[in-house]
Amino acid sequence: MQAISSMKTWQKWLLYAVVAYVVLLLGPIAGLELPRIIGDITNNPQVLIQQILVGLVNGAIIAVIALGYTMVYGIIELINFAHGDLYMLGAFASLTVVGAFGVGEGATWQSSLPVMLVALLVSGILCAVLNAITEKYAYRPLRNAPRLAPLISAIGVSFIFQNLGLFWGGLRSFIPVMGVNAAAPKSFPDLLPRIDLLNYFGIQSNIQFTTKDLIVLVFAVVLMAGLHLFVQYTRLGKAMRATAQNRDAAKIMGINVDAIIVLTFLIGGALAGAAGLLVGLYNNTIVFTMGFTAGLRAFTAAVLGGIGNIIGSMLGGILIGLLSALSDQYFSSRWTNAWVFAVLVIVLAFRPGGLLGDSVQEKV
Amino acid sequence: MKKQILTAIKSSGVLGAIAALTVLIFGGWSGAVIGWLLGTGLGLVRTTGKRVYSPGVGAKLGAQAGLALGIWLFVASLVEGLWLRPISGQSAVALPQTLQFAIAGLALAPLASALTGAFQGLQGNSRRWAVLITLAFILISFPFVDRLAQTNWLSHIIEIQIFVMLALGLNIVVGFAGLLDLGYAAFFAIGAYTTGLLSSPQLNIEWNFWLVIPIAAMVAAIAGVILGTPTLRLRGDYLAIVTLGFGEIVPVVFRNLTAVRVEEPISKLIGTLMGHPEWGICLLGCDRPINLTGGEAGINPIGRPALPFIGTFSSTDYLPWYYLILFLVVFAYFAISRLKDSRLGRAWTAIREDELAASAMGINLVRTKLLAFAMGATFSGFAGSFYAAYISAIFPSVFDFSVSVIILCMVILGGLGNMNGVILGAIIIMAADRLYLPQLAQTLKRILNTSVLPNIANPQWREFLATSLDPIQMRLFFFGLVLVIMMIVRPEGLLPDTMHQAELHPTDDGIQDSLPNS
Repeated sequence: MQAISSMKTWQKWLLYAVVAYVVLLLGPIAGLELPRIIGDITNNPQVLIQQILVGLVNGAIIAVIALGYTMVYGIIELINFAHGDLYMLGAFASLTVVGAFGVGEGATWQSSLPVMLVALLVSGILCAVLNAITEKYAYRPLRNAPRLAPLISAIGVSFIFQNLGLFWGGLRSFIPVMGVNAAAPKSFPDLLPRIDLLNYFGIQSNIQFTTKDLIVLVFAVVLMAGLHLFVQYTRLGKAMRATAQNRDAAKIMGINVDAIIVLTFLIGGALAGAAGLLVGLYNNTIVFTMGFTAGLRAFTAAVLGGIGNIIGSMLGGILIGLLSALSDQYFSSRWTNAWVFAVLVIVLAFRPGGLLGDSVQEKV
Repeated sequence: MKKQILTAIKSSGVLGAIAALTVLIFGGWSGAVIGWLLGTGLGLVRTTGKRVYSPGVGAKLGAQAGLALGIWLFVASLVEGLWLRPISGQSAVALPQTLQFAIAGLALAPLASALTGAFQGLQGNSRRWAVLITLAFILISFPFVDRLAQTNWLSHIIEIQIFVMLALGLNIVVGFAGLLDLGYAAFFAIGAYTTGLLSSPQLNIEWNFWLVIPIAAMVAAIAGVILGTPTLRLRGDYLAIVTLGFGEIVPVVFRNLTAVRVEEPISKLIGTLMGHPEWGICLLGCDRPINLTGGEAGINPIGRPALPFIGTFSSTDYLPWYYLILFLVVFAYFAISRLKDSRLGRAWTAIREDELAASAMGINLVRTKLLAFAMGATFSGFAGSFYAAYISAIFPSVFDFSVSVIILCMVILGGLGNMNGVILGAIIIMAADRLYLPQLAQTLKRILNTSVLPNIANPQWREFLATSLDPIQMRLFFFGLVLVIMMIVRPEGLLPDTMHQAELHPTDDGIQDSLPNS
């Protein structure tokens, strides 16, 4: 890449042309058949809008998970591999609460709304506390250790959480909702109302945008906005930003750095718990391995936006959601993962600090 | 005397516990085998760093430590044979037989330990040779000992060696050059698939394994360069996530290359615009799309190596495979240790320490980084090639992100940059994952079934114990716990590299400054 910057303009364009040609040559194998895609879009533009809506909702959920990564990274520069699995545990906690109250499909909103609120509370608190405990016992002892040691510790915690999810899923003798098979996906009752909004307002179309999508989207946006406001405009938020910027200087200024780090983990965990509930309500199926895939997507989103940057990870989440939805529809769902990461690689090759991240500056 | 024994037992603590655990879960002659292996290791550990002037002193030191190990083994053998087997529902071993196992362990551990201790006491070159010969003897004679003792560890040892090789390769990238690579399994996959494609009926190319293995390593190296190029400007965790991206892309590609048809895009585009899509010039898979990788079903069967006198390696006889991978690992160790001390290796260290300073000193960053990726990938390619031939089939699911993570764990756990440490890390993690945890889970499950479950009256609790606390399902939990505990106990790895250690503990006692870019 250093080589690129020293190239003459025509050489640069030649290089780009060659790369574009190779993409066009090999892209069709992975579903990038431009003529077909253009045809599909012009023949049925409603599908495009539908996929964009789906992508937005999924992206919002990814963004909520990504916030947890980005906050922890911003403050202690740790890729918290366990975060995705924490969100999975949040989904399991939500399902347990919903199952304990016995509300199922078709429950009136008067009966399901309080249950959902309790589930939100329980899963949020559980994940927050778990995250803080993990910080205390698995990451804090390693704070001055080599940079990669906490990473391995986080991977270990991720394994532990995943196994806890499997264990939780197997508790059928105490929690009947979990079903017979511990490892099998669990069905999460569809509690959100599904009123097609466009039809409701008298617009005739094939586009499905229900109240369920709207509620999930709005809730995710509220969470993100709340976090942003908290970090930007409260004293604690200011302390968090100060700690992220320079831990020692923050300490000198009288900030209790340990408490701030615990607070970060608490908030990140609570967000993971909320995301777990959201995913359960939105996808209606949860499985103990889902944390890994979602965690990877969310982490990618955080990096794409510029890790450590809260607005950036929201943007990254939405982008990844949109990209996956469009790729599922127009390229090939089997290749979606490859496309997501290919876009990540391309973006980082040109903007090494992520979309909104600070451009990396060398300090000498 | 009593005090001496007590201190000896304490000092051999971890190794002794491992040895005892081995005996408890494997039983039989495993105590003798592990006593032999760990005894040798203990003899080395006890005498390095100490001033051992004569073989006699070394032997005494070694024997003392080995005796403690032997006592652990002796006790564990008795416990296993007379108590553990009955409560886990297996027939007890008769006392004389148990005593035989126990005494074998008790005798072999100090013997092996004293022998290596004595070798360490030799002077100069003869000391190095003696230690080398001891190691070589262990490695070469292991399959026979394994067969004699009926421990059946050989197939696991082969897998461990594959991962030792991978860890050594990743250590070049992460340990020497300091480039965090989270997608290392991609190169493993590329090596394996190259071998698969070039020596299987998939494309009707059935080349000889000996020809394919260097090609696979070369292809992996080229892939390393290609994948390394976009990462050159990236630092720290951005680099990590891009390599992770490649690690995710590569298995997806192998999973989905089932119907390959390539057409020249410009002619195709013009044709489509003019209303004649058939104008597109077809380059590949014209008659019918090529099934390149077999998708989820993978490539099967893959040709096996053959040698004169031995014939084609078979899937039932592990012996030739063992020696082949042993040769590859020794070759990799030798090559990498030479690389480490070469001009290139010092350049790697320099860019790890400070990229800017290194480039100011005239090191070509692009070339050095790409060579690190290429060299790391080469050894991964060797391992992948061997793996493909050994399993004789490859599937895309084998090369997941978790494999990259496990290899990274080996490198960091063993000690970043220290080759012996990395090997140790690989052995510990693979032995725990493939050998100890499954067997431990089996044993615990047997105990649960025969001695615990029948005594529980409440059916709800009994079902809970039988299904949810199934030790076989708890493997991941234990594995994660091992990782966390090991990291907390030794954050710098088991055998930290001296140079890394010097960086991590700066002599100035000021505030630990946290550079954003470091």
